[in-house]
Amino acid sequence: MNVSRRGFFKVCAAGMSGSSLVAMGFAPTAALAEVRQFKLAHTTETRNTCPYCSVSCGLLVYSVGDGAKNTKAKVIHIEGDPDHPVNRGTLCPKGAGLLDFISSPARLKYPEVREAGTNEWKRISWDEAYARITRLMKDDRDANFIEKNADGVTVNRWLSTGFLAASASPSEAGYITHKVVRNLGMLAFDNQARV
Amino acid sequence: MSFDTTQNPLAGVGQINPGEKPADVHPPVRPAVFADRARRFDALAAGHALGDYLRLLGRISALQHECLRDHPAVALPTADALARALEFSMPPVPVTGWPRDPAWRTHLKHIVAGLRTDATPAVAAVLDAIDAADEAELERLADAVLAADYAVEGAAGRLPLIAAALQVYWTHMACAPELAGLKRLDVDNVCPCCGSLPVTSVLRIGYEVANLRYLHCSICNTEWNLTRARCVSCGELQKISYRHIEGSQGSVRAECCEACHGYLKIVQQDKDPLVDPVADDLASLTLDLLVDEAGFERTGPNPLFIPGNTGEA
Repeated sequence: MNVSRRGFFKVCAAGMSGSSLVAMGFAPTAALAEVRQFKLAHTTETRNTCPYCSVSCGLLVYSVGDGAKNTKAKVIHIEGDPDHPVNRGTLCPKGAGLLDFISSPARLKYPEVREAGTNEWKRISWDEAYARITRLMKDDRDANFIEKNADGVTVNRWLSTGFLAASASPSEAGYITHKVVRNLGMLAFDNQARV
Repeated sequence: MSFDTTQNPLAGVGQINPGEKPADVHPPVRPAVFADRARRFDALAAGHALGDYLRLLGRISALQHECLRDHPAVALPTADALARALEFSMPPVPVTGWPRDPAWRTHLKHIVAGLRTDATPAVAAVLDAIDAADEAELERLADAVLAADYAVEGAAGRLPLIAAALQVYWTHMACAPELAGLKRLDVDNVCPCCGSLPVTSVLRIGYEVANLRYLHCSICNTEWNLTRARCVSCGELQKISYRHIEGSQGSVRAECCEACHGYLKIVQQDKDPLVDPVADDLASLTLDLLVDEAGFERTGPNPLFIPGNTGEA
């Protein structure tokens, strides 16, 4: 639209005296006084993808808070995105319960490890987690990799480790995941990119 | 025992049918559109700081309803012109360029006569000014309303009544079966029927359109779909936030864009099923004042309310 024309739609206290409201004989005094009593509340609606399964339903995430330094934004409601072609505003019971997922005290927010022989979860850094996962994968692959089957045909299989990827990944992440996992010879693999 | 879904009255309810998407463009609902609006204005007027003003607007809407009910037959685009408009994604009865039928001035006369009965002196002065204007003057004011160019010296009181009459004429055309099946245009915030800007957007409830957002035309009352949480004016998807008056039920919110600093109100049927895109807009001018102070500019007009010229335009 013509941005300069917006000035004509501007509804402000300064313009009230020249408005049609005053021209028709009404006093804006009460309405203008009301403005001083009210405050604006600030909310947002953000699009996201449900993290549960490969259907990848569209979500609208509602939150309050204006993002200012001394306030904390808080998610208050989640519903299906009515514009999303996959779910057209609907959600399954798991998706409909996502708000509890977000505020759950048991929610996983950082890498944790439970060492063999203990019953306690210990927080570790992402670097430690990556190093540990690669070490374990390498050891397991070295020990269990199958190069040839009983008939001597090259198969290059790694059957003792599996891989599960996330539904909210874009196509590109799905492609890279597939390349990495299959290159290692892993067969037990679900990158949730079925839809 | 088998369960026959064709006998189940609830079969299909709550299910997604991938083949059927609700139509993008909804013509105005005839005959209810202005009658519902009149009732809504009256309901909103109770206890409102601008109650008398809203009651006057309710009277105008009720008179619009009478005009629409008894609307004479008027010329519509030919089949060729309609096909051409659809092919090139143009509105078939554009507010600027369409040869207006003088029927709209008959509506204006009816509205003026209807308001006469118990007019306050200020309203009577506005009605006198309209009665005194000749055809050329009225057509000139109509051009200004339809171009959403309200900076006409000394006409602030008359323009809403001119707009009301034009709304009836354009709503009548928008309801015509010949104009059914319009498609959205390439531009988000232009009415696919008459090419006007939207007054507000409305979040609908109901089986097929639940929670979908429709922009409501400021002139012909046509509604067209636009993705939610998206700037009506510039298409921004990320920097969108909403402002409503703290403590209100949130049935009227301002959809603000941090990218272009524009806003348009969205009225929500899920919060209040009776909201009207025009009446609730004018009953919430306080929200406009506050959002203006917060640094956002309104991107669509409500021609029933002409804001004063602040000299910034």
